[in-house]
Amino acid sequence: MKPRNWLLLCYALLVAGLPLAGLGYALLGSVGLAGPLATGFTGRHWQALGADAGLLKSALFSFWIASVSLTLAVALALALVLGAQGTLRRRPFPTLLYVPLLMPSLVMGFYLFQLLSRAGWLSRLSFGLGLTHSVEGFPELVQDAAGVGIIGAHVLLLFPFLTLLFQAIYQESRLADYRQLAQTLGATPGQFRWRVAVPVLLRRAAPTLLLSGIATLGAYDIPLLLGRPYPQMLSVYIATRLQRFDLRELPAAYLAGFLVAVGLLGLILVLTRLTRRHAL
Amino acid sequence: MSDLLRVNGLTKQFDGQPVLRDIAFGLAEGEVLAVLGRSGCGKTTLLKILAGLETPDAGTVLLQGENLLPVPPNERQMVYLYQEPLLFPHLSVFENVAFGLRIRKVPRAVADAQVRTLLAELDLAEHAQKAPHQLSGGQRQRVSFGRALIIRPRLLLLDEPFGNLDAQTRADMQQLFLRVSRQHQITSLFVTHDSREALTVGTRFGYLDRGVLSTFASVREFIQDPRTNIQAELSFWENIQQTAVLTP
Repeated sequence: MKPRNWLLLCYALLVAGLPLAGLGYALLGSVGLAGPLATGFTGRHWQALGADAGLLKSALFSFWIASVSLTLAVALALALVLGAQGTLRRRPFPTLLYVPLLMPSLVMGFYLFQLLSRAGWLSRLSFGLGLTHSVEGFPELVQDAAGVGIIGAHVLLLFPFLTLLFQAIYQESRLADYRQLAQTLGATPGQFRWRVAVPVLLRRAAPTLLLSGIATLGAYDIPLLLGRPYPQMLSVYIATRLQRFDLRELPAAYLAGFLVAVGLLGLILVLTRLTRRHAL
Repeated sequence: MSDLLRVNGLTKQFDGQPVLRDIAFGLAEGEVLAVLGRSGCGKTTLLKILAGLETPDAGTVLLQGENLLPVPPNERQMVYLYQEPLLFPHLSVFENVAFGLRIRKVPRAVADAQVRTLLAELDLAEHAQKAPHQLSGGQRQRVSFGRALIIRPRLLLLDEPFGNLDAQTRADMQQLFLRVSRQHQITSLFVTHDSREALTVGTRFGYLDRGVLSTFASVREFIQDPRTNIQAELSFWENIQQTAVLTP
C-alpha cells in the first residue's frame, strides 16, 4: 500500500473508526453480547428503558442547560460586540477576554462553588452585612434544581470565546462600513443592529455556535461539581452508571451511552444541514 | 437657479494634517458635480462629512437653506455609495433594494410594488430572489444603486462607485447612471479619479487636490486646466492616431 493510502487509513480509523467502534461496543453491550458479564443476546435492557424515566429527564435537563447557557452567552457576547465596539478595540480589554478561556472548566466550576454555595464567600459576605439572617438564608445557586450554577459556569466560559468570535466576524465582514451605509439609508443604530449586524453575526457564527451547544450538552466536570444527584446532565448520568460496583448495571449504562451518542449525532446532522442552508 | 446644497469654508484635519481646506461650492437640484482627484486628496472625507459620517472642524453645510451639520446621518436622506456595492449578504436582491422602505415601515404592498418597478428599470427583475454572491460585479453595483434610489435621496454621494468594474461594465454603468439620474432628477456629487468618467457623468466639474476644491464654470475650463491632465491625454491619443496614419 502507498504511504498516502496508509495515512488516509490511519486518518479514517482515528476520526471515524474509533468512535464507531465505541458505539458498536456500546450497542453490543446493551444487548448482552459484550462486556465483562456478557450473558448472550437479550432485549431485557431495552425493554426496561420504558420503565426508567432517568435517561429522558437527564436529556431534558441537559437540553435546558445547553440552550439557556448558549442563549445567555450569545446575548452577552452580542451586547458587548454591538454595544461596546470602541471599548473592545481598546487595550487591554481584548486581551482580558482570554483570561477566562485559559481556565480549565473544573477550575471555573470549583471557583463558582466557592463563590456561590451556601457556605461560600457571597453567602458569608451577605450574612456579615446582615442581608441574610443565616448562612442557609442565602439562595441556592449551586447544586440547585434549575442548574443555575452550571449555567453560570458555562456562560462564564462561553461568552468570552463568543465575544472574540463575533468581534473577528464583525471586522472581517466590514460591519463598521455596513453601519455607516445603513445609517445613510435611514437606519437608526437599533435598526442596523437588529436588521443587519445580528443576522450577519449569527449566520456566520452558526457552525461554531452549534458545536459550542453540543459541547455544553455533553459537559461533564462542571455538572459533576455544581449539579445535583438528580436530575443529572447526560455525561454525569452515564458515567455514574458505568462506575457502579454492580457489573450487572453495565448494559443499561452502555444502552444510555449508545442512545445519547446516536441522538447527538442525529441532532448535529439536522442542525448542520439547517445552518448550511442559511449560511452566508 | 438657487442652490439645493451650499457648502462654505469646510475644513477638516486628522492628527494636525489638513485634509480639507476651506471647501466651498454650491449644487443646484438635478446637477451632477463630478469631482476629479487622486487618491488621498480628501474626496472620501468630503463625502463623509456631507453624509454626516464625519464632523468638520469648521464650515457650514446647508441643504435647501437648512443647516445640515446637527442632523444625524439617518435623517439626512443623503445616501453614501462606496466603491464596493456592500450589499447586505443575508438579504436577497429584492430585500436589499427594499431595505430603505422596510426600515421606514412603508406598507409591504406599496414597498413591494416600488421595488418591483425599480428592479425592472434597472434590468434586475429576473435576479430579484438571488443572493448577492450569485451576481456579477455590475449587477451588484446596480442593486446598490437601486437600494439608494428607492428612498428618493435628496443628494446622492458616490465615492468612485464603478472603480472596481471592468472597462465595459464600467461604461455600461456610467450610461445607466446618466439615464436614471436624468429620469429621476437626482442631484449627485460623483467623485472619481477617472477624467473620462467625470466628463461622462458630470453636468458640473470640480478638481480636488490636497484638500483644496476648484470648481469650473464650464467643461472647457475643466478640460483646459492642466491639473486634470485631460489635455495631455488628448495629445497622447492624437499622437497615437497620427503615428498610425503615417505608418504604412
